Amino acid sequence: MKKIEAIIKPFKLDDVKEALNAIGIKGMTVSEVKGYGRQKGHKEIYRGAEYIVDFIPKTKLEIIVEASLVDEIVDTIRNAANTGKIGDGKIFVLPVEEVVRVRTGEKGKEAI
Amino acid sequence: MVQTAIEPQDFTGLRARRQALDAYWKQSISGYALVRKHSDFIDHHLADSFEKSAPPGEGFALVALGGYGRQELYPFSDIDLMLFYDPAQKDELSPLVDAILYPLWDAGLEVGHGVRTLEECMVDASEDFFFRVAMLDARLIAGSSALFSRLTEMYKTAYIEGKRQEFLDDMLEQRAKRETQYSRHTYLLEPHIKESCGGFRDIQSMVWTAQVVFGLKDLNSLHEAGLLSQEELKKFEEAQDYLVRIRNRLHYLSGRKNDQLFFEHQEEMAEAFGFKNENNMLAVERFMREVYGHMQTVSVTTGLFFEHVLEVSGSEESSKAGKMLEPGIEIRHARIHLSGSESIRSQPKLFMRLFYQAAKTGCPLHFRTRKTITANLDLVDDKLRNSRRTAKLFQAILVSAEPFRVLEEMLDTGFLPSYIPEFSMVASLAQHDVYHVFTVDRHLLQTIAELQKLRQEESTIFAVVDMPHILFLAGLLHDVGKGFGHGHADRGADLARQIGERIGLETDELDTLDFLVRNHLFLSDTALRRDLEDEEFILRCAGLVNTTEKLATLYLLTIADARATGPTVWNEWKGALLLELYLKLALLLDRNDLSGHEQTRGAELGAQWIREKVFELLPDAKEKDFDLFSDDYLLSFPPEVIVQHIVHAKKLEKQDVLFSHEQSQDSWSILVMTKDRPGLLAGIFGILALHNLKVLAAKIFTWADGTAVDTIEVSSTISETYDGQDWETMENELNLVIKQRFGLQHRLSQKLAPVRSKPQGVQQRLAAKVTIDNQASELYSVIEVFSKDRIGILYDITKTLSDFGISVYRARIGSKADQVVDVFYVLDYDGKKIESPAFKNELQQGLLYAVTNE
Repeated sequence: MKKIEAIIKPFKLDDVKEALNAIGIKGMTVSEVKGYGRQKGHKEIYRGAEYIVDFIPKTKLEIIVEASLVDEIVDTIRNAANTGKIGDGKIFVLPVEEVVRVRTGEKGKEAI
Repeated sequence: MVQTAIEPQDFTGLRARRQALDAYWKQSISGYALVRKHSDFIDHHLADSFEKSAPPGEGFALVALGGYGRQELYPFSDIDLMLFYDPAQKDELSPLVDAILYPLWDAGLEVGHGVRTLEECMVDASEDFFFRVAMLDARLIAGSSALFSRLTEMYKTAYIEGKRQEFLDDMLEQRAKRETQYSRHTYLLEPHIKESCGGFRDIQSMVWTAQVVFGLKDLNSLHEAGLLSQEELKKFEEAQDYLVRIRNRLHYLSGRKNDQLFFEHQEEMAEAFGFKNENNMLAVERFMREVYGHMQTVSVTTGLFFEHVLEVSGSEESSKAGKMLEPGIEIRHARIHLSGSESIRSQPKLFMRLFYQAAKTGCPLHFRTRKTITANLDLVDDKLRNSRRTAKLFQAILVSAEPFRVLEEMLDTGFLPSYIPEFSMVASLAQHDVYHVFTVDRHLLQTIAELQKLRQEESTIFAVVDMPHILFLAGLLHDVGKGFGHGHADRGADLARQIGERIGLETDELDTLDFLVRNHLFLSDTALRRDLEDEEFILRCAGLVNTTEKLATLYLLTIADARATGPTVWNEWKGALLLELYLKLALLLDRNDLSGHEQTRGAELGAQWIREKVFELLPDAKEKDFDLFSDDYLLSFPPEVIVQHIVHAKKLEKQDVLFSHEQSQDSWSILVMTKDRPGLLAGIFGILALHNLKVLAAKIFTWADGTAVDTIEVSSTISETYDGQDWETMENELNLVIKQRFGLQHRLSQKLAPVRSKPQGVQQRLAAKVTIDNQASELYSVIEVFSKDRIGILYDITKTLSDFGISVYRARIGSKADQVVDVFYVLDYDGKKIESPAFKNELQQGLLYAVTNE
């Protein structure tokens, strides 16, 4: 089992969700995160007031899947989240040791 | 079929309690009748146990306390019991306690119990506020009435007689505590029927206080004493009864002692109370609207009661004379008073004047004045609603220091929905989702509170707002179209316009109000769902918002609305996205704003004419595409040529650069279209020089979407023929240049070496001149370069500009004889004018060097 973590531009969430739905991925955890990478924060001066945007708002998706599905999902996210500009985000794939469904106690594949 | 009443003795033992409740339910016994029946049932069985085990004599009394003492026992409420005994009988105590409590425990009931002597009672009462209050409702279930009377007498002497002020202070403290604890968002969405504002605690604390302070034992006596009007009493009793039914059902549904109306229960409750989905409104929303409405009644009525008590209890002196503010209105002890209740009947204009004075002085209305307002709302008629004077006062209230406080009083007294009837449609209106923690009317008031805060927090942006009263009015009305399904913003805008017309707003005020209400979701939707780096889109947004003032107004409304909706809607994360959008639009509008001044009315009309022409020639062009073109671009070409540009631009989706050339009368014309990028102009001019082409004139434009459209008139310096010119190589090289794979610099210097071998003299240097003017255009810095013409000079100039990070937005290239005059409209690397004197000087020197040296 793997966990796919994708950091994307917030406005791309719907596109990514739809694309994932289309390949049968129905469940994910979505959170609002902030950070910076190559797309640095910036300072704006407007009418004498300084506005500092030091961390840029991003959306994080987390999906746990069987290892065999990882490539397809990563491609799907990449295609859907791509605008070709700096700040489109990153996708991480991490190993997952165990999954337990709280309600039933099911483990592993069954619990995904 | 006649149903026989069920009596407690029909059931054997406490274990049958659930059966008994079910039987009552089946007989549709609800509300007070049910809690009373339930209480009787427990009484019966407890008395039974007591009689069986108590020793003869006057040594014991079984006492019910709190809610059970009032004979209000909800299905899963705690049963508050006290076994009160004479210390002389201590030995008999233990078996009696067992006999009473064990059956209760066996039946699975929650029992709050105490075993106390008179002395212990007094000690506990002195230490524990809740026990002291519970004792107010003490009731004898079984045992010695003499013993019980001793207790109640003693309690009265110790804690009521002469202790009224302390009691009141305790009550008020608890009330304030509840207010802070239970006005949190979760309790607004899922009200706590017992503890929330307008819940049972409010009712009880009023009844207790009436009992202790005035010796009034129930609501009716409050009415008889003149503390509640007939109308108030009726509404209050209705509310109370409704809450009792809710609490009953809630216990029943949850199967436990639960007094909070959780989300998961609300729909089921709505169904149980017979609500149906109708007219775009969910059953649950109709139900919750009733709940909030009743809780509002309780909250307002008890609030008025406590103000009254405070006044008469002497914590505020009432003897001092008031100061007259205007005829009919005076201020006394920092409260606004109506000087005589008769005057409001003859002078309805006093309604708004009262609120206006409240806003002006910062003092609340006295509770009796508030009651008078509520009692006389029938006087608020169309005449008052259409009164310009009243409208002016209303507008003044909106921009006063604390409009929220005054508007809240207007809502609580019922004046606001009477004055603005459209508002009554959203009164207590609930929205069944996890975002909206307030009912719509409260949310609208909360928006005003947030705007009030933003006036300080975002003072810079607030300063841009040109119609603050319209901003506050939009805050108050933006959701007035709710309750009828989708499209609430459009419906609300129509209603707001109607209200605005009634209160006599001017056309531009109406338009702004309409715009704000109609688009109050626009910025937040856009910030979350659209690519803010999509320049074309941002440009369209700017087109929609149109002015910096409107943008600032809409931005503040958006923040206030989001913050007033609930904690899930507003956070720093969304704030950052919204700010980004705001700044993008603000900077853009600031520039466009200024460019508007540059154009004469005539030019605008000309541009409009060309737009129409182009539109005719290109029927499938969308209207909005024209936003891409500045007026001066449109005025620089015949419509046919613009159409050509638009057609060419489509090809740019597939290829990087579009290069075309044609022969005209005495020159050749070259068109280059591509995405604008730094150094593009230098690249083009460089290639032209490399191919022995001399620039006669050039029109350099950049569309708002970043497409560069450069038209250059050239002639050959070596008298080549049009057909002999190697256009194909030129196009290839241009492509390479744009991809930055072509060494223009070294190729040019190799090519030009022989021509440039002559050293440039002092004379040449004198002839050259560079000026940088920030006045000529309000939007751009205008750089003019005068120099002797030579091959490659434009390359050198534009290369220098590009090295300085300067973008060229427009250029006029002209030459007279062998003198060139080139004009460039530019902005620096940050998209701003070149203001810094040091940079200006550096740039000037750089350009001079470029035109006079190699």
